[in-house]
Amino acid sequence: MARVSTRRIFLERTTVLVATLVFLLPVCWLISTAYKPSNQIFSVPPRLTFQPTLDQFRAAFALFDVAALMRSSLIISIGTTVLSLVLGVPAGYALARSRSRYSAGFAYFFLAIRMIPSIAALIPFYLLMRDIGLLGTWWAVIVFNTMLNCAFVTWMMFSYFKALPPDMEEAALTDGCTQIGAFWKVAVPTVRSGIIACALFCMMFSWNDFLNPMFLTTLDSKPISVALLTAYGTKDITWGTLGALAHFSTIPIVLMALVMNRYFVQGATNGVQ
Amino acid sequence: MRTRFSDRRKYFLFLMAAPAVLYVAAVGLWPLAQGIGYSFYKYNLLRPARTQFVGFQNYVDIFTDPATRRAILNTFQFTLFSVALQLVLGFCLAMLLWRDSRFNRIVLAFLLIPATITPLVVGLIFKAMLGADYGIIGFFLAEAGIGPRTGLLTDANTALWVLILIDCWEWTPLMTLILLAGLKALPADVLEAGRVDGATGWQRFHMLILPLMLPSVFLALTLRTMDAFRVFDSVFVTTGGGPNDSTNTLMMLGVKEGLQFFNVGFASAVGNVTLLFIALIATVLLLVVRRADVRINGK
Repeated sequence: MARVSTRRIFLERTTVLVATLVFLLPVCWLISTAYKPSNQIFSVPPRLTFQPTLDQFRAAFALFDVAALMRSSLIISIGTTVLSLVLGVPAGYALARSRSRYSAGFAYFFLAIRMIPSIAALIPFYLLMRDIGLLGTWWAVIVFNTMLNCAFVTWMMFSYFKALPPDMEEAALTDGCTQIGAFWKVAVPTVRSGIIACALFCMMFSWNDFLNPMFLTTLDSKPISVALLTAYGTKDITWGTLGALAHFSTIPIVLMALVMNRYFVQGATNGVQ
Repeated sequence: MRTRFSDRRKYFLFLMAAPAVLYVAAVGLWPLAQGIGYSFYKYNLLRPARTQFVGFQNYVDIFTDPATRRAILNTFQFTLFSVALQLVLGFCLAMLLWRDSRFNRIVLAFLLIPATITPLVVGLIFKAMLGADYGIIGFFLAEAGIGPRTGLLTDANTALWVLILIDCWEWTPLMTLILLAGLKALPADVLEAGRVDGATGWQRFHMLILPLMLPSVFLALTLRTMDAFRVFDSVFVTTGGGPNDSTNTLMMLGVKEGLQFFNVGFASAVGNVTLLFIALIATVLLLVVRRADVRINGK
């Protein structure tokens, strides 16, 4: 390995650090608005110092049922994630193991679902939900998001299982293991990290999504992302209150991605290779 | 006995794949097919009695109406410039983070935060920061006389460019991550040989690294292009397509027409045109990937 001068490493690190700060500053600004008194958020000219306060959080809790919003978001994300994994993991396995010449075609079909602009399917789906009376329920969002996410999971797991040689399962099968057993006890444990990565991405997608729930949910079933949108521009709601509310929408998911960084990196790069 | 075993395996795998295939067909393909049907009708939910078959009229309208043509051009401009800028910035950052160290790993984790934040919130942050009267960036820009007095997002000449920059802020980190994975998978011996042969840094970059990275670059481009073409969240929150349709994109147009004005027929046509464009772009890019792959691996 060639020696690299300390000066060069120092320069590289400073550049990277400055770039990262640029990427993080807007986030810090958002977080800081939630602790400023309303009259100091947009003082002219803008100021950098302020008296910290928790008033904005009090206002957010007074104006919004934060717990109910979080519950909606959680139900939608967890429901979508579980359903997508239950449908997608076996399908990815089957396509990776099948010797049929159609299996690769099916795998690409699932990849292609990723390209759909959701509006093309959302309008007819909206009408369908209206006709069968599910419009406004969590189910409507879960069913629609699961369609997009289980396609993604199938494609991801297809590539994970494809990279895993089938020898172990074949050995287990010859030893008298059942088909289900070979899948569940032999194949699934070896791709556990892939499944966690898939789950993380499904959670992120459904938690952050707002176009689908905006039209598919109602006042009592809306998740926090939709609440943020409707709160914006409403009288009585200041940027500070919005910043406080945004805490509940961003912090859980950012923390999850930071803690599970390894899986985030794996998931984002595996979708490519 | 053998055949029976492999038959059983076949049935089992078929049963494992069937639920997902049926589900996606029922919840994805069926609405898509219905959407194609609707797109041939003048169909407004608020006036269902006046529904009539109009053939390709909705599609003709998309390509002849100045407002919708603007949306198509905006979408292409947005996609082209934001993805190109992300690629350049992402490549630079990936090169800087290439060396494996604890420092770089920690920095990468934090760098990825913009990609995990709710896109809606991203739009809100920038809307607040760019306001000319009170935003922390907008105020000083206006004071310094840079940009329009009303703010960059409310001026028809600058709004789309600002949206492009916002998209770069949001997605450059992800681009960096994908390219970094490509860099780390490069064959170490080839790079080492270049060093031993005394190639300069620039020579190594454009004669070794760049050609070897082409497949990763094109795949990253394909993914990001498909996403950028469907941009909606940040536009919806910051400008809503305005001012004067200067930031109207295809998704924005489709959502406004379909889910706000309930113009189901026309909105379906917009959705289908968007899907068609995405499929075309993806096909072209994937063909390029395959050719680049063949050229490099010689197969």
